[in-house]
Amino acid sequence: MSNFEKVGDGYSLDLTLDEAHILINLVEQLLELLGEGDFFHHYDSSDPLAQLLAMPAEIVTPDDPVLLRLLPNAYADPEAASDFRRYTEPQLRGAKQKNLRLVREELTILVDENHGGVIEELNADIWLKALNDLRIALSVRLDISENSFEKFELLPDEDPQKPVYAVYFWLGWLQENLLGLLL
Amino acid sequence: MAKTITKEAVSVSELLDRPWITIVWDDPVNLMTYVTHVFIKLFGFSKERAHELMMQVHNEGRAVVSTGTREEMERDVQRLHEHGLWATLQRDDKI
Repeated sequence: MSNFEKVGDGYSLDLTLDEAHILINLVEQLLELLGEGDFFHHYDSSDPLAQLLAMPAEIVTPDDPVLLRLLPNAYADPEAASDFRRYTEPQLRGAKQKNLRLVREELTILVDENHGGVIEELNADIWLKALNDLRIALSVRLDISENSFEKFELLPDEDPQKPVYAVYFWLGWLQENLLGLLL
Repeated sequence: MAKTITKEAVSVSELLDRPWITIVWDDPVNLMTYVTHVFIKLFGFSKERAHELMMQVHNEGRAVVSTGTREEMERDVQRLHEHGLWATLQRDDKI
């Protein structure tokens, strides 16, 4: 059973191979949904030449409900919201991609070596945010509400949704586990 | 970003009288401990204050977590979004 632990000043996470597979699968799907483009840039982002090509012509409110929840409107007023989005969404998207990429890197070692094991000296803050974004993404697809846990418990084992709910609640448990060490 | 401030014809005194506020909205996903953790981390609240605000979000559906200039609130909203909390900013309508 997976578990975060505090080791000295750092944190570690013990995962089975199955758990590492579940996590990396979700991380990669969410990275895909957020789009590519987050890599090390050799130029300063304030460079006018860089802005010329890298700045999309138009940044619009996302259609996908998962993206809209991860990159939400900052204002109730649609005009102010889209103005704000134009200036800030690339940065927000990039921050989320960066967290997920780091988690992916750490999981890759376990998955590539095809065994469970301990991820040592992980960045707790980044894992916390990445786990939260994964839960948010799943919650939108599962239409999670306040009483979803009761609904999950009543689902028959053969229901195809049951394992997905189980992963969602497992991620919550994992996040709670890490928070218990931080708070 | 300054553009959005200057295009509205608001007097300085009105701006001073009516600050902007950052609101965090309730959602069924973010864990109560996580929301408390984020409040402490981003705003430097005591554990008690952070817990109190988290409970307000949970029970009343929303809570004002910071007050200030529009630019400051935009920064707070952005940081909250980076942590997956559902936040918006608006001019304080209480006054």
